[in-house]
Amino acid sequence: MKITTVAEFEEYVIRLEPEEREKLEAFFSEFNLHCSMSFVEKTALRQDFERALLYYAKTGVSLDDALELLAMRNLGGFYARPPLLWFPLDDAAKIYPFSMEHGKMAVFRLSTYLKKDVVPELLQMALDFTIKRFPSFATTLKKGFFWHYLDTTKRRFSVEEEHLPPCMPLHVGRSGSQSFRVIYWKNRISVECFHVLTDGTGGLEFLKALTAEYLRLCGVQIPESEYIADVNKTPDTEEMENAFARVPHAAEASGFAGKPAVQMSGKLSKCKPCRVFHFRLDATALAEAARRHGATVTAYVMAMMFVAEKAATDAVKGEAVFQVPVNMRKFYPSKTVRNFALYCGIRMPFKDTTDVDAILPAIDAQLKEKASKEAMSSMLTAAERLVNSLAIVPLVIKFPVAHMVYGFLGDRMFSNIMSNLGVVKMPKEMEEHIESMDAVLGTVSISRAACTMVSACNVATLTIAKLTMDPTFEEKMLELFQKEGLEVKVEGSEIYED
Amino acid sequence: MKIDITYPPAEKSGQWRRSMLAAVKWPMLAAAAICPIVNYFVGGKAWSVIVLVGLFAAWRFIFSIDLVEYNRISQIIKILTFACIILGLVDILLVPGWALFVVPIVCTVGLGVAALLFFSDLEKQEHNAFPFLLLIFYAIAGSVVGLHYKHGDGRWTLMLMGAVAAGLLVLCIVIMGSGFFRELRRRFHLR
Repeated sequence: MKITTVAEFEEYVIRLEPEEREKLEAFFSEFNLHCSMSFVEKTALRQDFERALLYYAKTGVSLDDALELLAMRNLGGFYARPPLLWFPLDDAAKIYPFSMEHGKMAVFRLSTYLKKDVVPELLQMALDFTIKRFPSFATTLKKGFFWHYLDTTKRRFSVEEEHLPPCMPLHVGRSGSQSFRVIYWKNRISVECFHVLTDGTGGLEFLKALTAEYLRLCGVQIPESEYIADVNKTPDTEEMENAFARVPHAAEASGFAGKPAVQMSGKLSKCKPCRVFHFRLDATALAEAARRHGATVTAYVMAMMFVAEKAATDAVKGEAVFQVPVNMRKFYPSKTVRNFALYCGIRMPFKDTTDVDAILPAIDAQLKEKASKEAMSSMLTAAERLVNSLAIVPLVIKFPVAHMVYGFLGDRMFSNIMSNLGVVKMPKEMEEHIESMDAVLGTVSISRAACTMVSACNVATLTIAKLTMDPTFEEKMLELFQKEGLEVKVEGSEIYED
Repeated sequence: MKIDITYPPAEKSGQWRRSMLAAVKWPMLAAAAICPIVNYFVGGKAWSVIVLVGLFAAWRFIFSIDLVEYNRISQIIKILTFACIILGLVDILLVPGWALFVVPIVCTVGLGVAALLFFSDLEKQEHNAFPFLLLIFYAIAGSVVGLHYKHGDGRWTLMLMGAVAAGLLVLCIVIMGSGFFRELRRRFHLR
């Protein structure tokens, strides 16, 4: 069967010397060995190679070098084998399909900002090469009789130019549809994941591997490193495991339910998020400021958030509750790239929220207690009991009940989220090409803001995804940072509300 | 606040279904509430039950489509299920005595269409086998139950439905091989 080629590529081939043409033919013969997907997918994948080769030709890279960079060994056997793997959802992911609605889905975004604009042809090739290393990402959500699960899909996963607001729902219903998207805009590479696939840590692993592969295709030499997954290495079984299953049960189980938290007073936007802000700070200066206050960076930033939250609400009594995701890998080391995080709620009554220094000790103490190994183990035990008790209830019954309960509780229990993904480690050779990284949470529906923090290349980025037009929260945050003598560069989006 | 805009202007296409759902939700709920009331006051047969099922079917097909497993096999099966329910209700509530003859014919045709769609693109549809297998199971079960209760003329439609379903089940096992059992393992996992 003749595979369609990009028209411009045909002209390029005609202009090649006979021996170069032979090399190219041999290259694509090898492609046929590495790819046995449907005609449509095979054509799309081949065209990715053609576009990348054209890009290299236009930028003066010799054919030999281009063929070496795009060598077929990078495809591995992923596209040549039928999709047989499947993954039961991990304990944390089980809730996400129940919370789905039209226009509402638990999606988060992780981004890398490069020092140069992204070359789409090479980013597509980087994704084509990277996906095999993350089999649990090459999946589609499916319905089982009792639970949803992830079914492997073999296709050419596509890269798109950014044209939608961050964290818009993915269309996961069709056969073989992607549960994540890779998008680019100017110098930014973003990965948006449906939370059933992974958590922030797993998503970062994927983004780092994708970025490293992209940089390799751009000609950057990145040495092997413990911080970056080698895309040509066989995936470790541990990387795909439901790590929750390995955690020993606690004697006591603590529940998830709590009373509703006070929300910011601004009107909820239709588009969620309606605006995104990135506060870029010097990571060293921020850590130093936190140290001056005798607190961790998370506690310090959260104290500011509580003060800003109070400024953004008309409520005079009640309490603000911030959801803080806790990475379970720090208690139970695991290489899993799937969900392995729980959360805790940090509470602060409005009457006590006077200024940053006044509330910092209480926040620090709550974080130490509620995000401890014991507290997390108790929560996990409660989660496991819930999962076990619902195991034999058919999905057709479980779904409407769980959907209704989730709709009733939702994120009402929390006023805001603070997810600190910490310092992203990568080789120096890679850091030289990266400006910063950030994360956007699109997982809330009632809370008027969701905050994340990532530090990379000595830039700490606090991202605020807003669900209300009221600018009080972010303005107060900026004021508090500036009052502390921290220099903040504010980036972000226009308002998405229609 | 001085902000460097680092995001492209967004297209407004993503939320149309959500807007449409919001627009039609209340008129449909109003219709669903008014029909039984009108039916109650006018009296006569319980036609409003059929209207309610029809409204629900319209809601599920047009306005609130499946978010997971929205594929040709699952949609055919959904159409078939709603068609059979409505036919059954018409028989029970309005004009009795024909559904046990007609519904198996409709189901047999549905089985044929689903089988055509399934086997014509087996590589891809193998991952959508479960709804098809469920339809086969329901058809066999319906046939057994129907034959138990229905006596006299017109049993052949039930026999035909059962035979076609059983034949398709065997065909699935033969063609899918180990994939058939793998699909069952996936779909019935408990953890």
